[in-house]
Amino acid sequence: MKNNFVKLAGILFLIGAISAGVLAWLNDSTKDLIAQNDAMASMDPAILEAVMQGSVMFNDYEDTALVETAKGENNKIINIMTAVDASGNELGKVVRTWSTVKGFNGDMELYVGFTPEGKISGVSVISHQETEGLGSKTTLPAFTDQFKGKDGSSEIGENDIDAVTGATYSSKSFLSAVNNAIEVYTKYLK
Amino acid sequence: MELVSLFITSFIVNNIIFMQFLGTCPFLGVSKKIDTAAGMGIAVIFVITLASIITYIVHHAILVPLELEYLQTIVFILIIAALVQFVEMFLKKSAPGLYQALGIFLPLITTNCAVLGVAINNIIYEYSFVKSLVYSVGTSSGFLLAIVLFAGVRDKVDYADLPESLKGSAISLITAGLMSVAFLGFSGLQL
Amino acid sequence: MNKLQIFKNGVTTENPILVQQVGMCATLAITTSLINGIGMGVAVIAVLTGSNIVISALRKYIPDEVRIPAFVIIIAAFTTIIDLLMHAYTFALYQALGVFIPLIVVNCIILARAEAFAFKNGILDSTIDGLGMGVGYLVAMILLSSIREILGNGTILGLRILPEAYEPMMMAIQPPGAFIILGLLIGFVNYLSRRKNA
Repeated sequence: MKNNFVKLAGILFLIGAISAGVLAWLNDSTKDLIAQNDAMASMDPAILEAVMQGSVMFNDYEDTALVETAKGENNKIINIMTAVDASGNELGKVVRTWSTVKGFNGDMELYVGFTPEGKISGVSVISHQETEGLGSKTTLPAFTDQFKGKDGSSEIGENDIDAVTGATYSSKSFLSAVNNAIEVYTKYLK
Repeated sequence: MELVSLFITSFIVNNIIFMQFLGTCPFLGVSKKIDTAAGMGIAVIFVITLASIITYIVHHAILVPLELEYLQTIVFILIIAALVQFVEMFLKKSAPGLYQALGIFLPLITTNCAVLGVAINNIIYEYSFVKSLVYSVGTSSGFLLAIVLFAGVRDKVDYADLPESLKGSAISLITAGLMSVAFLGFSGLQL
Repeated sequence: MNKLQIFKNGVTTENPILVQQVGMCATLAITTSLINGIGMGVAVIAVLTGSNIVISALRKYIPDEVRIPAFVIIIAAFTTIIDLLMHAYTFALYQALGVFIPLIVVNCIILARAEAFAFKNGILDSTIDGLGMGVGYLVAMILLSSIREILGNGTILGLRILPEAYEPMMMAIQPPGAFIILGLLIGFVNYLSRRKNA
């Protein structure tokens, strides 16, 4: 009886081990491509342009201690960056953040750009899981353009923006991300 | 209180069946009688909560430090399968009536999308341990709510005069759809 | 059954979604646009066929008592393979399908076919069964997601087909629409099969 049990466990273990081995190999072969995809999702030139007109690159903000403090106190902040143009001039600051209010299917990941005068230069969605054709419309310029030029020194109220019809969750989630970025900007970068 | 809001949101506003579609198979399969449905719902709450705790710990204590995240699917599903096996043995001894009534659907809790879905979501949303606990209990309670409500409605539907083609799953799905409309109304709920 | 019949069985007579009614979760959630429906359908074909082949090949070596855990490991492995491949090579689709890719492992269809067919039949037959059921799933996904995308968005594959003046039926894309449209679809299929048998 015990022998049988060992045999059963052994076969399961073998199947598991072989599967794990195959996966480990595949994971290794695709690791770089996957990392590249994840990075590209956030560094697409179209996104950079939409967030801060004229920018070609987002660099990590040089005051790393400040960024660490911010991340420690605000667990939805992913990064703080500076947007630079082709000549290397700083155009403004960019906050990369998750939303604080869940969308329909999860958190949304955004860039929110701020001009030196403290106005929002643009926002762009990096990743989301909202419904295709509904919540996904929050990624379109028709929705995101309304944030350009808004005052980045105080929270934007729900009544100050036009939500996407039928996508209340997604719109609210989007807005919460923008407001989270505003909170970080006013607290640490002004 | 953020945790209360999280509970209500996962319980009603983002109801696992009517809004997220996870757990639909047992939902359609076990909801014919209210007591069986209730029993299933409670078993699911138990499994989802325990599964969330164990998978959470395994993920953060083993998979992440060892950079084995790609094994998440396999490891999680095995944990869930083992858990369901234990629940089955436990029910067989302590509640044989319920065990009989649930029949094939008990081992099928393993393939209940809701269990794996909640476990994975805990990781994706980067919840703390307490939050994932609240999320799990809230979500699975939402499953209980949905399945019991549905069983109540189906009881009545069985006596209705329907065109032949619509009997069975077709009318069940349409009914679920109408209930889903009701739950959609919660989306404006501000907490 | 001969080989062609096995394949046809999966697509029509025992269509996993429209007749057997298993594996609904992803069906309801993913079908908001045709491209997503197709993407998920193809992913399921890959996992289903792959796991059917391996389980069938190993059927003489897997003891009966541990067959369910063994199936689960193999199916989970294939799901992870597809997940990694999509993450690397079809990133946009990967982002769109989100959490439903790992959820392929709990898609009742795959476990059901492993238990009902692959464990008891030869490799070639199991391959065809996997393909047949997978294609049946894909067909149902295409039907459901086309209807939902046209009604709810006025587009198909992102291309506008209904005139701009058409007010999209928002509900088609939202959860209630999924339940109701699938219910009506199944009712219609019932009607067709009753007419055929009458």
